[in-house]
Amino acid sequence: MSELKEQLKAQIIEQLNLEDINITDIADDDALFGEKFGLDSIDALEFIVLLEQNYGLKISDPSEGKDIFYSVNSLADFIEKNKN
Amino acid sequence: MKIKAICKIDSNEIIVNEQVVYYNNSSSTDWKKIAYQQLNFDYPKFHKMDNLSKLAVLGVKYIEQAVDFSSFKDDEINMIFANKNSSYCSDIKHYTNYTKNNLVSPADFVYTLPNILIGEIAIMQKWYGENNFFIHDNFDMNFFLNQINLYFCENSKYCIFGWIESNEEEEKAIILFLEQDNKSNFDFNRLNNYL
Amino acid sequence: MNNIYITSGSCITPIGNNISSTKNALKNNLSGIKLHQEIGFNSEDFYVSKIDKITDNRFFSLLNLSCIELKNNCPSNILNSEKTIVLVSSTKGDINNFPTNPFEKIGPFLIKNLKLKNDPIIISNACISGVVAINHAAKLIKSNQFDHVIVFGIDIVSDFVLYGFQSLFALSNEITKPFDKNRNGINLGEACCSIILSKEKINQKYHALYLGGSSSNDANHISGPSRTGEGLYRSIIKTISIAKINISDIDYISAHGTGTIYNDEMESNAFDRLQLSDKDINSLKGYFGHTLGAAGILETIVCLFSMEEKLLFKSLGLENIGVSKPLKIIPNNFSKDINYVLKTASGFGGGNASLLLKTLNNEN
Repeated sequence: MSELKEQLKAQIIEQLNLEDINITDIADDDALFGEKFGLDSIDALEFIVLLEQNYGLKISDPSEGKDIFYSVNSLADFIEKNKN
Repeated sequence: MKIKAICKIDSNEIIVNEQVVYYNNSSSTDWKKIAYQQLNFDYPKFHKMDNLSKLAVLGVKYIEQAVDFSSFKDDEINMIFANKNSSYCSDIKHYTNYTKNNLVSPADFVYTLPNILIGEIAIMQKWYGENNFFIHDNFDMNFFLNQINLYFCENSKYCIFGWIESNEEEEKAIILFLEQDNKSNFDFNRLNNYL
Repeated sequence: MNNIYITSGSCITPIGNNISSTKNALKNNLSGIKLHQEIGFNSEDFYVSKIDKITDNRFFSLLNLSCIELKNNCPSNILNSEKTIVLVSSTKGDINNFPTNPFEKIGPFLIKNLKLKNDPIIISNACISGVVAINHAAKLIKSNQFDHVIVFGIDIVSDFVLYGFQSLFALSNEITKPFDKNRNGINLGEACCSIILSKEKINQKYHALYLGGSSSNDANHISGPSRTGEGLYRSIIKTISIAKINISDIDYISAHGTGTIYNDEMESNAFDRLQLSDKDINSLKGYFGHTLGAAGILETIVCLFSMEEKLLFKSLGLENIGVSKPLKIIPNNFSKDINYVLKTASGFGGGNASLLLKTLNNEN
């Protein structure tokens, strides 16, 4: 699970062009859409692409995303629960 | 019309008012990132922008080193831009995404309109002025001045004008900060070769 | 008094293949929006509004049809005049032939087709292109550079744009419902229309006076509007001032009304701030879909229909209003003498634009 979380952090940084941020800057329970990372509505949609491209998981309603993308923890939980 | 400041950008250097303010002496292809870092301007959104918007934003920020924009009202400066290839650098990304990579990225798609660069400038500077984008075959200052002049009025005598190109061969931009001035007789066609 | 007259030139849309048939379709509340199967990125079905009769080389076929109608409606001495120039409003041009430059053939095509003396000017400013182009045309005339300016607006439905909007979750899964509480997105549409601005009253059926227009950026977000509608608010204030009228003089508003949650909410906020909540208002997107670069031209032509026929068209798609501020949305076609019409537009990049028209009376 912690390997998945590190992998997710790297993918998030790359997919969202978070140039000045390292994996160590993202805590597992950090609110991804809080003040710290300056993410916006387009970034939320990019998470949907990330999940589909990297984990084959489809989200058809962006409003579901709010809970799933809350933090790296919630993302990892979602992936673990749905990976098969 | 008067030129208050002029910025020329290409992958080798950035020149403001004929002085080199940034010189690309690294072998890094990400010269725009280094030019941004040199500005000491903390704006993480920069990294999400496409090439066209990055060039435009760099132009405005480097010009800001020569002009105090805070002295202007928030709708006093019009934003008029032009190029030949529209948003090619983002168009090709989006097109390649769905034709070759079997994906569609919303972050790439939102930049597939040339006027988005104006939006990025407006957001960064909090400018509410008039804005327009022309697609034109070549860098022809005479033509552009004719259009820019039409937007000057009592409440807005200034314009940021830019010609910004980003494609596979090259990236270049020229950005002018202009002021309405009926007495000036500067020959703007001289600039056609400056680019 | 230096009047600027505005009149329709051509109107090729999914509900009519000329000015007259488009107007009749509007009267009958016909929509061009239909379910198209398997057109989505993963072969989903989507509602779009397409023009059936154009098949190959769709962009230039559409532009050609529009030119044919324009040539029937506009005297050739005006088309071929040195004092005439053409503007083209388009967001993506001939995008179906990408990566070939989607705009480079437009000018030469029009010069040849219409025998123009001046190179056309192309404006690409997202969904506000049409209104901005009309405003730009008026400025060209006011500056005495030209006596006549013909403004084309054109965009076609394409995979490029459809897939992109799909990735933004901006496409509705049903027919668009502007301002409705159950609205959930846009339907893409296509059209090519032309409108003529002139110092002279060209002998056309649908005409009005152009009084003024402006644009203003939200300075907020590149793909979502300002919550308070700041850019639209400022644009309308500026437009009213240029037109030298009072807000209360406005009789009818042709809104942008795309059917997205955010756009329609933003417009209601802007109109409320301006005390326009009690003005008759509609969105035309339920008839044509969102025709992007053509929208400003097409929907302004529909304003001309309304003014000449003294008839306001039902805002298609509305069942129950679902925006925070009150709006007097037109529930069914009804007759009304209208004098001052406000047309608005908003688009990606945070642009907002508006223009003001006045009905011609005997004095003009």
